[in-house]
Amino acid sequence: MKRLLALLCLAAALAPPAAALGPEETLAVIRTVDDRQRNSGDYKALAYMEAKEKDKTDVVYELVVYRRDQDQKLMFLFLAPKAEQGKGYLRIDKNLWFYDPSTGRWERRTERERIGGTDTRRGDLDESRLAEEYTATWEADEKLGRFQVHRILLEVKPDVDVAFPRIRLWVDQETRNVLKRQEMALSGRLMRTSYYPRWKRIFSESKKGEVWFPEEMRFYDEIEKSNQTLILIKSVDLRPLDANLFTKAWLESKSR
Amino acid sequence: MLLTDLQIAARNLAKHTKRNAFLGGAIATVTALLVLLGGLTAGIRAAMLESATTLMTGHVNVGGFFKITSGTGFPLVTDYEKVLANARKRVPELDYVTVRGRGYAKAVSETGSMDLVLGGVDIQAEPQFRRVVRLVEGNLDDLAQPGTILLFEDQAKRLGSKVGDALTLSAPTARGMSNTADVRVAAVAKNVGILSSFSAFLPAETLRHLYQLNASTTGVIHLYLADPAASARVAARLRGALAVDGWRVMDADPQPYWQKFAKVNSEDWVGQKLDVTTWEDELSFLTWILKALQGLTGLLVSILMVIVVIGIMNTLAIAIRERTREIGTLRAIGMQRTKVLWLFLLEAALLGIAGTAAGALAGVAIAAGLNAARIAVPESVQMFLMQQRLWLAVSPSTVAAYAAGIAAVTTVAALYPAWYAAKLKPVTAMHHIG
Repeated sequence: MKRLLALLCLAAALAPPAAALGPEETLAVIRTVDDRQRNSGDYKALAYMEAKEKDKTDVVYELVVYRRDQDQKLMFLFLAPKAEQGKGYLRIDKNLWFYDPSTGRWERRTERERIGGTDTRRGDLDESRLAEEYTATWEADEKLGRFQVHRILLEVKPDVDVAFPRIRLWVDQETRNVLKRQEMALSGRLMRTSYYPRWKRIFSESKKGEVWFPEEMRFYDEIEKSNQTLILIKSVDLRPLDANLFTKAWLESKSR
Repeated sequence: MLLTDLQIAARNLAKHTKRNAFLGGAIATVTALLVLLGGLTAGIRAAMLESATTLMTGHVNVGGFFKITSGTGFPLVTDYEKVLANARKRVPELDYVTVRGRGYAKAVSETGSMDLVLGGVDIQAEPQFRRVVRLVEGNLDDLAQPGTILLFEDQAKRLGSKVGDALTLSAPTARGMSNTADVRVAAVAKNVGILSSFSAFLPAETLRHLYQLNASTTGVIHLYLADPAASARVAARLRGALAVDGWRVMDADPQPYWQKFAKVNSEDWVGQKLDVTTWEDELSFLTWILKALQGLTGLLVSILMVIVVIGIMNTLAIAIRERTREIGTLRAIGMQRTKVLWLFLLEAALLGIAGTAAGALAGVAIAAGLNAARIAVPESVQMFLMQQRLWLAVSPSTVAAYAAGIAAVTTVAALYPAWYAAKLKPVTAMHHIG
């Protein structure tokens, strides 16, 4: 019996480690992550964003996200709280504009803007473009809770402007859904950890297939440890949107 | 002859000591008040000029914005050596120059966080900085070491940090990527008015590293002039000269650079644009304090002057009524109308001069007493007064101007009653029963 145990231990020790993913395979994983979330047509979703900050009252924002991924159009319209009602973001070409109905003014903002001053970035609610923006390197296969995951490091490609130059992803090997994400600053410092505990799928007519979206996202600020944001995505609608929706005039009309 | 007239005027004033002393006292009070309030305004302005032009701005600044995309402006001056060389050539009034990094970041400590406007300094090249910044703890020389920061008292309190503690600065780079820098608190300085509530300083190299900038890029060039009063003129000239020499220069806009982001980001251009400002532009968010104080002074003095003018007119009217028969007699024995007018004006002028002189002396003495007492300004007021101890800047020329102005007003106020006295007919005046 002792001999059998020793043999088993030896076999375990000599067993090859989990096979490393090559660059092509790693890229394929990231492309799958993007493709599963990609919808070639229009996208509309109701989102709830709960922001918790130290020494501040928790705020729950309600907003509608509009996307036309085909030509990278994006718009957010805030519905609540009252103070934020009618405010919105609109991306026109490469510019992100912010509208405040209380002043009636449009301000150009960076695409890396913190949405509503929370830990949420534009990219969290936009189409996933990881394969376009980053170079992926497999780091390890490991367990994350009860899930078997690929741990993949993404580094920004030259001349691409993103909020975080380095991202570490934990991708579910079975479903190819991202379960955890760490975003690092240029200095290498961990800035934000995100968790995606619930994914949902919906059939897309335009894609003629399923579109996956994270129903729940939790962002933890790693610099200001007490700050966190929870996003819940509800009522995803993939039917075509009005052709003239992504305009300043439309967003302004919502607060009149 | 003038001496005789003066004697007559003085005797007439002395005859009604109580009435004239009261009026003279009112004139003296207005003068003293004007001297004190003027001293306070000048004191704030002087403190602002000294501390702010060391901490935040030069007398004239060459800053600007660099935009990688039209929506993302950053307060940068690229190839600053060339801009500096040009400024040296174009500004013969230049005394000395400092080069500063500009930026903003969130500072995070173990217990708190706050947004800071950052100034990148080369502490060894800025001896004036030491004169203005008074340390509570730490060593200013340590600010020469990379990865250090100078905080002001309130900031240190809010962040719960002391010398030697570590802070994380988190900011987006000029390309919008997140970056951080870990810094050690090298020194904590006493608050210097409102500026110290949001400004902190770190070595220019550390700021460059945080924003991933090269060595030829900075935030702003501060130009210090031999005569700060020439700032506006020099700025206008330099703005034109830089444009002629090929730089793209922003239109004059009297606002601090951090209030220009929204406007700059909404404009459709990319690359570098220079912005030439004066210290008054950069501190325009503070000049309302001066304007408010000047407005208050003006209002108070105007009300008091109206009272004094009415007093003068009333006093002279009474004097003329009392001396109508005397005027009639003088006119009957040959005194000209102009002489009568002159005598009454001289009385008012004498009263005005005596009152303003007494008031000016009292004002100067009170100001000197307050300055000597080194009265501590409450912390909540320090933000606005830019002073820790009350300081009234009273200059002899200003006091003389105030006194001359008030004396002139009192004399002019006497014109109507004096003219009324001069036009009296001798016969009517002699028969007057008063």
